[in-house]
Amino acid sequence: MTAVRCVDLCKTYRQGDENIKALDHVSIEIDAGGFVCLSAPSGGGKTTLLNAIGGLDKPDSGEVYIAGQRIDNLSKGERANLRLRQIGFVFQAFNLIPVLTARENVEFVMQVQGVPADDRGKKALATLEEVGLAGLEDRLPADMSGGQQQRVAVARAIVSRPALVLADEPTANLDSKTADGLIELFRVLNERHSTTFVIATHDQRVMSYAKRLISMLDGRIVDDIEQNAT
Amino acid sequence: MILVFRLAWRNLWRHPRRTWLTIGAMMFSNMLLVFMISLQFGMYGLMIDNSLQAFTGHMQIQAPGYKDDQRMRQTVADIVPLSDLLRRELGSDDIAARASAFALVSSDERSYGIAVFGVEPEFEVNVSTIPGLIGEGRYLGDNAATEIVIGAALARNLRVKLGAELTLLGSGLDGSFAAAVVTIVGIFDSGLAEIDRSIVEIPLGLFQDVFYMRGAGHLVVINAPVIDDVAELQIRVNALLPAGHDLVVHDWDALQPGLKQAIRADISSSFFMYGILVILVAFSVLNTQLMSVLERTHEFGIVMALGLTPGRLAWLVLLETAIMGVLGLLLGALLGALVTYYFSINGFAYPGMAEMAAKFNLPARFFPQITVLTLLIGPIVVYLFTMLSALYPALRLHRLHPVAAMRAV
Amino acid sequence: MHMVGILTTLAWRNLWRNHRRTLIMLAAVILGTWAMIFMTALMRGMVTQMIQDGISALPGHIQVHHPEYRDDPSVANLISISDTELAAKFEAADIAHWATRVRVPAVITSEYESRGITLLGVDPDRERGLTFVDYDEVEGRFLESTEDTGIVIGKKLAKMLNTRVGKRVVVMSQDPDNEIADRGFRVVGLFTANVSAFEEAFIFAGKSTTQKLLRIDDQVSELIVFGDDYRNVEALYDKVSAIVDSRVEVRRWFEVDAYLGAMLTIMDGFVFVWIIVIFLALSFGLVNTLVMAVFERVREIGLMLALGMKPVYILGQIIIESMMLLVIGLVLGTALSWAAIQPIKDGIDISIVGEGLDMWGMSSVLYPDLLLRDVILANVVVLVLGFFASLAPAWRAAHYEPVAALTKV
Repeated sequence: MTAVRCVDLCKTYRQGDENIKALDHVSIEIDAGGFVCLSAPSGGGKTTLLNAIGGLDKPDSGEVYIAGQRIDNLSKGERANLRLRQIGFVFQAFNLIPVLTARENVEFVMQVQGVPADDRGKKALATLEEVGLAGLEDRLPADMSGGQQQRVAVARAIVSRPALVLADEPTANLDSKTADGLIELFRVLNERHSTTFVIATHDQRVMSYAKRLISMLDGRIVDDIEQNAT
Repeated sequence: MILVFRLAWRNLWRHPRRTWLTIGAMMFSNMLLVFMISLQFGMYGLMIDNSLQAFTGHMQIQAPGYKDDQRMRQTVADIVPLSDLLRRELGSDDIAARASAFALVSSDERSYGIAVFGVEPEFEVNVSTIPGLIGEGRYLGDNAATEIVIGAALARNLRVKLGAELTLLGSGLDGSFAAAVVTIVGIFDSGLAEIDRSIVEIPLGLFQDVFYMRGAGHLVVINAPVIDDVAELQIRVNALLPAGHDLVVHDWDALQPGLKQAIRADISSSFFMYGILVILVAFSVLNTQLMSVLERTHEFGIVMALGLTPGRLAWLVLLETAIMGVLGLLLGALLGALVTYYFSINGFAYPGMAEMAAKFNLPARFFPQITVLTLLIGPIVVYLFTMLSALYPALRLHRLHPVAAMRAV
Repeated sequence: MHMVGILTTLAWRNLWRNHRRTLIMLAAVILGTWAMIFMTALMRGMVTQMIQDGISALPGHIQVHHPEYRDDPSVANLISISDTELAAKFEAADIAHWATRVRVPAVITSEYESRGITLLGVDPDRERGLTFVDYDEVEGRFLESTEDTGIVIGKKLAKMLNTRVGKRVVVMSQDPDNEIADRGFRVVGLFTANVSAFEEAFIFAGKSTTQKLLRIDDQVSELIVFGDDYRNVEALYDKVSAIVDSRVEVRRWFEVDAYLGAMLTIMDGFVFVWIIVIFLALSFGLVNTLVMAVFERVREIGLMLALGMKPVYILGQIIIESMMLLVIGLVLGTALSWAAIQPIKDGIDISIVGEGLDMWGMSSVLYPDLLLRDVILANVVVLVLGFFASLAPAWRAAHYEPVAALTKV
């Protein structure tokens, strides 16, 4: 089964006087249960591609399918709903809502989905435990380390069991040991729940964990290899 | 200096929306203050002028106690020679003698008890607006003629017309029975029922005959060219009073103490309200400037590390506030002037005002007058409070430590 | 519905994130609310007092006269109304407070002085508590019956006439045939009044005595009727209209005295304008606070949008935050106004401008009048207009592009 399918995506930004081709006829398919790394140097188009897959951004042309459903032509509200129910997000930084505790951050998405309070609380605690944050549920983001914050973000991304988790440079602000731990966590979750992970990164160590490594440059896919993850 | 100014200016426009909202608050209250104060001061001027010009005048010479009791016996002896003397010595014709007594004024059908005033027809026109308000007939002429002018409302109530005869019944200065028959030669219409119903005038000569005044009267009305000259004129009048006479000179404030107090009561309640408005603006500025200081903590940390003193930074913040304040002052005063100008042409009225205005001898529409004072007093106070409220954010900078500040996000 | 909880939590915590800014804004809202309510209560108190004094001078919520009386308030325009018949009808209509009285212009003369006044021929038992005279405060005594041969005059008038309790005065008026009607009275009491002008203007005599003096049998000038609330006299008006015959004119108090009536309108207008003005002054700060709050939270808002939160919830969150701020401010401000009124509930003496207030027709003791209606008006206006003022910044927040917002530094 195909989790993500992109057909001939193009997206151009204007920066100053220049037109930057962030996506230049990109087509990919990602199978369900995949653990895919998108690697590219800064400005290589990986974030744009990730945003297009997540429905955060619309491509200029081309089609995006999530679990067989075309999403690039959906309305803003429909795309919001899609993100809410089918996709988990982990961003580079500023992942958490500062005024909510770890548990509340994790519950937040479920709350918006309308999950009953009991259910929500249980799931949030279980998920926080799963990402290794048992005992820190009631801390505010400001009282946690960067790695802990990212784990909360991961917990939030997977708590409602989305089929797809998109992560944009999740390790960028972490030291290498913490980063390793986070990627390990991704792998475990990928195996355990068969969740599809698409991670945009230019961190070599992250790439080495990927089952499939897609390299981009100037908005084009330049390499796409299956690899034996370490 | 130019550089600092440019820096302050640019800092302000980093958040144009916030800056405009803050200036907007100043403009709003400045506009309101300019308009309201112009309206009020215009109104006060009218209140004073209209109340005094109708009848009271700027000052009066009376016997002591007459002001409060208005008894027949509290007279000014030889009043006509006195008013002649004053006119001569002061070189002014805005001086007239009066006498007054209560009498029953009867027509064929009706009788009313009212105050009858004896006036010097020749000079009364200079100290009262009533002679000018004659709608039917003419004002009094000869000083001894058996003539009377009355108000339109009284004429209606007495059911009389021009040319009819009225009987006056009262008591003379010596307590004896006083009576006269007079012909209505003029009917005045001031538009104010109160005045139209309560004042009738006969020539002073006739009055002195009828009420056995033996040359006496009750008061001499004196008008100054402008109201601000009253105090000075009062001193000169006092000096001219004949020696040995027991007389006092009251200025308009003493004659109508209610007038100044009514104005004062109105001023104090409205200034309380303006005060609230100014403080609310000050809060707005305080909020903005505090935010603007807090969000620049990092930046301030850097420039302090480069060697700028907190004092200099405080001046920068104050300068930013001053620029906003000046913009608010100029734009607000301009806006206020425009609004006031519009109403000074078209007049200003609100529901119920006509009835209220009538009570104070005021027209039903107000035409506010802009003066330098009414234009600037409000905005300047707002400006001062603006600067005052920026002090806290500015002084807070002294507590800033460069290293800690740079660490702040 | 399930979102309300989380939105409320978010709004509440965000509100206190920048507690300094929130506190400043809160202080402004509290001050504004206090100013709205407290000031309104003071002004209302003044006007209420003034209207009540005015009504007690008229007196009555409803007055019944001869149709011609309004233009010619004299002895010629009387109404024939039998007290006995009225008593039965009014009792049936459940109207307790009413009186008939003779009211004519007259001249009062002491051995020294004469004054024009309004003579009231009253039934002292019926009038108790209806007029401005407090019987127990009268020096000497008030009238005892309609046949009382004594007379009660104001303290101020007594001073002018140079008379006192026990002395005789002559009252002179006219009968319907325009014959002079006069008789001597013994002064039995001197009254004081809240509004000192009343002390000069009115004298009281027994109704029957007055009718005999004026040779008018049992005719009267007016019927006065009091209800429970001067603000609401329509029901009373209808009842009275139904009872009296159609040859008389029935008028409500605000028709009798247009100035008093206008005061109510002016006051309602003033309260509304004042509340709006204060709100506007506050709104700049409010919008500014929200704009800043949104501005510094752009990334979080982007995050929430990226996670799939609908823009309308972002809008809701900002609005809730704004409403929370306003509600806290309103509650505290209202409480503060209530507290501020407690110490002066029994009246504050403002006699320093007493004569000025006399001029406005106000008494010199001010009783604040806190109306629930005004409190509700202030609160509702702030909430409703506050809601609309918050829409703009909230709308802006809700329409960020998630990607752009997320990456904003």
